[in-house]
Order: sequence, then C-alpha cells, then structure tokens
Amino acid sequence: MIRLTRPSSSTAPVIKILGIGGAGANTLDRLVLDGIEGASVIALNTDVQALNGCVAPQKIHLGKTTTRGLGSGGDPEIGYEAAEEAGDEIKAAIEGADMVFLSAGLGGGTGSGATPLIAHMARTAGAMVIAFVTLPFAFEGKRRLTQAAQSLAQLEGQADLVVCFENDRMCEVVAPSAGVQQAFVATDQTLSQAIRTIATLVRHGGIINIGLDELASALRRQHPRCLFGYGESDGANRAHEALQRALKSPLLEKGRMLGESRSVLVHVAGGPDLTVSELTVLMEEFNRHISDSTRIDFGIATDAKLGRRLCVTIISSTAAAEPAAAAARPVIARTPAPGEAVFTAAHAGEAEEESEAGDAAREPEPMPQPVTKATPAPMQIAPAITAHKPKDSPSQKTAAAKKEEKAEQMQLEPANRGRFEKSEPTIVDGQDLDVPTFLRKNLKVK
Amino acid sequence: MARDKIVVGLEVGTSKVCAVAAELKSDGTIQILGVGEAPSRGVRKGEIVDIDNCGKCIREALADAEEKSDVMIKNVYLGITGAHVQSFNNRGSFTLPEEQEKVGEDDFARVQEAARKAPIPSQNMFLHTILQTYHVDGQDGILNPIGMHGRKLEADFHIIHGVANRIKNNIQCLIDLDIEIEDIVFTPYAAAQAILDQTQKNTGAIVVDIGGGTTGYIVYTGGAVKQSGVVGIGGDHITNDLSLGLRIPMGKAEKLKIEEGSCIVGNCVPGEVVALKDEPGFAGREIEREMLNTIINLRVRETFELLKRELDKGRYLDYIGSGMVLTGGSSSLHGIQQVAEEIFQMPVQLCRAQNVSGVTSAFENPQYSTAIGLVKYAQATLEDESGGLLGWLKRLFSIIFLFFLR
Repeated sequence: MIRLTRPSSSTAPVIKILGIGGAGANTLDRLVLDGIEGASVIALNTDVQALNGCVAPQKIHLGKTTTRGLGSGGDPEIGYEAAEEAGDEIKAAIEGADMVFLSAGLGGGTGSGATPLIAHMARTAGAMVIAFVTLPFAFEGKRRLTQAAQSLAQLEGQADLVVCFENDRMCEVVAPSAGVQQAFVATDQTLSQAIRTIATLVRHGGIINIGLDELASALRRQHPRCLFGYGESDGANRAHEALQRALKSPLLEKGRMLGESRSVLVHVAGGPDLTVSELTVLMEEFNRHISDSTRIDFGIATDAKLGRRLCVTIISSTAAAEPAAAAARPVIARTPAPGEAVFTAAHAGEAEEESEAGDAAREPEPMPQPVTKATPAPMQIAPAITAHKPKDSPSQKTAAAKKEEKAEQMQLEPANRGRFEKSEPTIVDGQDLDVPTFLRKNLKVK
Repeated sequence: MARDKIVVGLEVGTSKVCAVAAELKSDGTIQILGVGEAPSRGVRKGEIVDIDNCGKCIREALADAEEKSDVMIKNVYLGITGAHVQSFNNRGSFTLPEEQEKVGEDDFARVQEAARKAPIPSQNMFLHTILQTYHVDGQDGILNPIGMHGRKLEADFHIIHGVANRIKNNIQCLIDLDIEIEDIVFTPYAAAQAILDQTQKNTGAIVVDIGGGTTGYIVYTGGAVKQSGVVGIGGDHITNDLSLGLRIPMGKAEKLKIEEGSCIVGNCVPGEVVALKDEPGFAGREIEREMLNTIINLRVRETFELLKRELDKGRYLDYIGSGMVLTGGSSSLHGIQQVAEEIFQMPVQLCRAQNVSGVTSAFENPQYSTAIGLVKYAQATLEDESGGLLGWLKRLFSIIFLFFLR
C-alpha cells in the first residue's frame, strides 16, 4: 500500500469547543481537567461569577447589558438576547473553525436560549456543528422540560449532529447509591469523553482514516439526534469488552436502536499491538447489532500512546429524518457565501439580521428563536417550513404520522418480550428476536 | 469393550431435564434401561439462570431415571448448549523433528494443540476439537497418518467453544449434587451421534435440534463435522408469541401449540375456531385457527431463515446429499417439515434415534434424541479410549481439566 504522508498541522481541522451556561461549563471543565489537545476551549455564560470560576482559557461574557453579569434566571428569552448582544464576540471566537462543538444543559435560560443561536452562527461561519446537550430531570418540572424540548428542536434544525443525554438516565451511569456529586461528574465525563473522542477522531489520521468528510456524509440526511457509544478496555479480552462497553454507553440505548439506523460509523483505536483477529472478532460481534442494509463507515487508528488500551467509538443516528426537516436544515450552508444564497426564505431574514447584529427589529422570528414559556414549541418550526415549501406539507404530514407510528412501536417493544423479559436478548441484525415475530412484522392479531 | 458398561446421558434443557441410563453391550449395541425426566426451571435459552432451582430439577430427573432403570447414577455425560457456543474450522500443523521419519502417536496431540492456538475470546473455553482430515506433506485425504513417512503433519479441526463461566454453571449444578461428570458435550453434536449413521455423515447431512429455548445445528459432510452453532430461539418463543398475541396464559399457549398448532397456513376452513374451555380462573375463548397457525408459521419461518443465513455463511449447503434431519421437542410441531423443506430446498425428515433398543417410547421420541446421543457419544469415546496411550492421555487430561474447573 502506498500512502502519502499526511501533513499534520496544516490540514488538521480547527476545532473549537464552546461550553454554554452552567452545565456546559461543567462539561468543559471536565474536558480541560482531563486534558484535550488541539482544540481551543471557550466558556460562555451570562453569570459572570460562574464564568470566572470556569477553568477554560477563553471566556465570553454573554449579555453585559442584558443581564449585567447576573444569570438568565431560567428564561431562554434572556439567554437568547444575551447571546445576541455578544454576537460579534462569539463570531470572532469561532472564526476559521472547521468544527464547533457546543456543550450545554438545556432547560435553563442560557443553555436553552443561547445554544441554538450560537449553533446558527457557527453554521453560517462555515463550521460543522456538533452539539452535546443534557436534558433536565423529569422532576424539574414541565416548564423546564418544555423549554428543553423546544430548544432541542431548534438545535436539531441548526446543528449537524446533536448528542443528547437525558439526566434521568444518570442512574445508568453510576450506581443508585453513588453520591450526587459523583453522578454529575460521571455525566460530565460521559459527554466530555464523547467530545474528546470525536475531536481526536477527525484530527488524527489512521490506517483507515475517518475525517470530517466521512463523519459528515455518514450522518447527513439522517436525523440529527445522534447515538454515540464509546468503550475502552485493556483486559485480556479487550476487543469484546471495549465493544460491550461502547454498546452499553448511556448515549446508545444499549445497542437496541442501532438496528434502526441506516449508517453507522465505527472507529477502532488501539496501541501498536492491535491485531487483525481482534478487529475481526469485534466487527463480527458488532455486525450482529445492525441490519444487513446498514452502511458501515469503518476507521482504524493506532496510537502508541494508547498502550494496551483498545478504544471503540460508535456514532450513528436514529432512522433518517423526514424529508421536510431535512429541507429545513440547510446542509449546504457549510460554505458560507453560496450557502446564504441557498438559505431558505425564513433563514434569509435571519442571515441579514445576523449581519447587522444588535438590530432590535426581529419581528418575523426565524429559527433560533428564544423559547417563550407560553407558546407551544413545534409550531415555531412547522410554519417556517410550510412558508418555505408549502407543497411539501402533505408529505410532511405523512412523515409526521410515520414518525408517530414508529414511536408507538418503540414504546411497545420493551413491554412485549413476555417470558424472556429478564433473559439476555437474542439480537440478530439489530432486531430483538425475543419480541414476537408477528409484532415485528406488524401483523394485526384479532 | 470387554464388559458391559452403564452410562448416563444428562441434558439440562430449557423446558425439561432429561436423563437416559443405558447399557453399552459388548456387541456394540446400546440398550436403554430407563429415561428420567423432570420439567426444567431456572434455565433460559439453554443457559442456567438459577443454580438452586436447576439443581433440584436435575435431582428429580436423575432420581426418576434411577427408579426406572434400577441403577445408581454416579457419573453422567452432560450436554451443553446456549447461544454463547460458537465454532470455526482451523488447521493445525506440526513439523516433525529432524531425527523422526514417521508420524508417531503423540504427534496427533501436538497437531491438535497447534490448531487450538487459534484466537478465541479469552473468556471462552474449548468444548470440542473434532478432527476432520489429515494431510501429510500436503497429501490430502489421509485417514490414519500414524506410521506414515513424512516431514509435516497437518490436520483440519472443527473447534467448538463457549463461554467458560456459563459452562461452569452447568458443571456446578452437578458438583452440588455429588455427581461426577465424565465429559461435557455440545448437544447438537451429541444428537447427531444418535440420529445420523455413517452413510449420512459421509454424503452430507444437517441436524437441526429445535429445543425449548435454543435451536442448535451441526453440518456433516465427507464424514466430518464442518459447521455447528446455536441460535437463541426455540419452542418457548412460539409459546411466548402465542401467549402475547392471543392473550392467553403461557400454560394454555403451550398446550394449544402442542395439541392444535400447525406451521401450515392457508388450508384452514375460513372462520374455523379452536375452543378453549372454561376453567376456574380462565374464561373460555375461541381462537381462530388461521391466526394461531399464522403466528406459529411466522416464528418458525423466521427461525429457519435465520438458520439458513448462518448455513449460507458456511457454504456447505451444496454438499448436503442426505438432506436435513429435524430433532428436539419442537420438531414434533405439525407441518414444521414442510416449512423447512420450503426454506432450505432440500429433503427434510423427522428423526428418531437409531441403533438402540430398550424402552421404545424413549428412542421414538425426538425429545430424547440428545440424551440418547450423549450415550452414543460415550460409547464412541469409550471405544476410542479402550486402546492406546493416546486415549489414556486424553482421559487423564479431562480428569485434570474437570478438577481445575472446581
């Protein structure tokens, strides 16, 4: 095999990691403390006190006049305004980045309000945007959940990829008896691990390389909500263990959702002693969790620094997005100049508004709109789409219906394993074969 | 074999525990003395999930067998299955030392050792290393290389391995009961011993053992095992599907499956129903026969299709001259033969154990073919061991091996 040497520094993508709000900063802190190379780390917050406590080298204070250094008070509208006020600063910070990682906790003010807007800015600046967000606990109340859901929906319209962690699943990451502190640290670790892994993935070349382009193509035209699994092991049976850990990752739904996915990106990294048989064992095992038609993008890298460790990364997303939503997501907008031309009508207004930041007139509210407590969320996106492509509306409706049907089926699934409820599932091609065949084939039983 | 010997085959299945006590006659035949049986608890998909409960069931089955056959059971041949069992083919090779001209007896062990160097997950242990063929200096088709001139001895093996801890759980159950284990055997391999004769093994045959929780298969061509494996789906899944789909209790679903169920769809009188009688705690129901059969058909068909995909990977399907043999409890399901024929495109027969005598009901029932197979396996290994240093060594190793498992 002839391989051209890869000029390292000049072509390596520029990566910026932004932590927005309190939760975002926590993840960022974890990331900085555990060490991250080749990426600049920026903390953004409305609360100046919290911002000062953050270890990130670069900090942006959002909403100097809007909040005067206080927090956003859980109000996404204030979060949005604050981010808008600091628009120039943010744009300057993310300029020239190929990839922008956003980390935020949705549900509160700064995180929910500012993140979609910042995602939009990064996208207009031509970067690939990957957002890592946490969703609030169910007990935090309906209002915060709604705010989080609205913000997530907007974010999904803007970011290339959204990795979502529900705080409710925290007890899966740590033992129920673990301290609160420990639980939150574990959550931050899960997210920061995900950020680091993707960053390393695209930065470092490998024997079979996965770059920005593969990542983008693997995930394009799919639902931006992403499944992410990471596992590492240095045991005697490390290939198996690392894969099992990756599949058990709290961001991957125990591998059951993988069967639904159309394309999966798998990356294996190991020390120089990584063997072909390990790869074979690993991929054979992995193939059992996905269906035959799933496209696999496979990458291998060896890094002496890893020593005995073997790391497996799985990135995928749930079933392909409905066409309407895909249209709403301006994928082509990565190249800034022509991108704006392709921008949808709704976005055109936004782009203009962006160019003259600070202008108060944003009445025909575009996509990253502040989440107002009273207005129901999905409405904001739906009109934007229909205004843009009215002829699409029936297909959109069927897509929505389809989605609903799917959701219903998924809800049924765990409940219907009957006798095999507590046994180890038999998963072949991503299908749980313990679930009755007639259910999986959608046969109506009288 | 100078004297008659009594051996016991024990199969701990998902739906039942079955022990067969048999006498190995000096003329090479097998006489079944008694069959003990107990419903199984604490086993899911062929693997033990509750050691205590499972131990009790094994004790019941063994006591039953002791009573019927009038022998004391001290040691057994234990059948092992479960979706964790995997297999592959590998070739071992050994170059003879300079001064040695002919292949000696102990070289076989070295070749076998070399073949076992293949990578298996470290949590797994070897169940069987079954010889396929020998090659001496590249010459194929050697039946017995011992005493032949050559420099390099090679042999192909079919290697079956499984997760050590799960196998140990099975062994633990018996250790708790103070029963010695002579050997552990992969159940489809055992079943094939009872079902297939040498001609079938030579011309190529597939044994599919459809049990309660698992479906095991083994492929023979050219007289040797070429492929084997387990799929974690069995008769219980059919019952479970019926129970969930028709909303009836598991017990009723099981009974319905056995008494009324069929895999054939499309030949029922429209509107034909099966009546489930009123019982205390159960309001009677009428179940449409077509629906019943459809649910069964879908599951059976899916299981066979899955199996077909597994078999396609091995690429031996074109070399099967004697067709497929179905065994195991679920092979009694009405119409299963037709579905299998349709999917595998080869003649399919239902089996019964061969070349045994004794309790007729035992060997005529496919449920017992694995346990009888264990006895057959015992007979074959004992014949092997009766002569030669090799057999003695093998025996010694297996004793040491089982000792360490404790």
